[in-house]
Amino acid sequence: MPRGMYKSGRLRKIFVKTPGGKTTVQYRQRKPSAAVCSTCKKPLLGVPRELPAKMANMPKTLKRPERPYGGILCSPCTRKRVQQEARSQK
Amino acid sequence: MTLFSIGRICVKLAGRDAGRKCVVVEAVDDRFVVVDGNVRRKKVNTRHLEPLAETIDIKNKASHSDVATAFEKMGEAVWDKKSKKPAARPRRVKKARAAEEKSTKKPTKKDSTKVVKEVKKPVEEKPVDVSKETAPEVVEKADENPVKPKE
Repeated sequence: MPRGMYKSGRLRKIFVKTPGGKTTVQYRQRKPSAAVCSTCKKPLLGVPRELPAKMANMPKTLKRPERPYGGILCSPCTRKRVQQEARSQK
Repeated sequence: MTLFSIGRICVKLAGRDAGRKCVVVEAVDDRFVVVDGNVRRKKVNTRHLEPLAETIDIKNKASHSDVATAFEKMGEAVWDKKSKKPAARPRRVKKARAAEEKSTKKPTKKDSTKVVKEVKKPVEEKPVDVSKETAPEVVEKADENPVKPKE
């Protein structure tokens, strides 16, 4: 039987075949959910889905697109937002 | 006379320059134009531009300096290329190590080379190689330099 802490489903299971032929279970941390656009809720492209520790070591330019609202809005939503801003300024 | 005629002020919608003002400098065909101003000078699709009411008088294929002067008159910012050389950073030297280097009056060959490497001044490197007699003087100068930025 697995230990109590492994029964809660907090960790994901990986089945690994050992050289002796047995299949053992290893437990890995689950990845966080993918980043989504704040208006249309679609998953954002160009934002990696990694553990927080790995994200902290990554440079900023690898974690989001290099444009205004990059990493917050998807590209079609960004265009709409910028267009509205340009029209409202007049 | 199309909407995206030469001199039309636009706002870029797509890419890293999104939200910045630019002016149409050249019409390539019915879909593409060359823009300049507070953006990188680039051929862009007109679908990625939002035209504004304003227009300015500029020549066909006007240079970046012409556009820059026109934008400065309007009171708009102008995109400028960043210089390639990064700013020199003050190098950190540990206090204990700096004190050790000061106390040793006659450094050996290895020490002198180490100090020169830290400072990275090609002008001072040459005299060390040519004449060993001048080496201690150079080292004393080198000791002063890393301490200065801390003060």
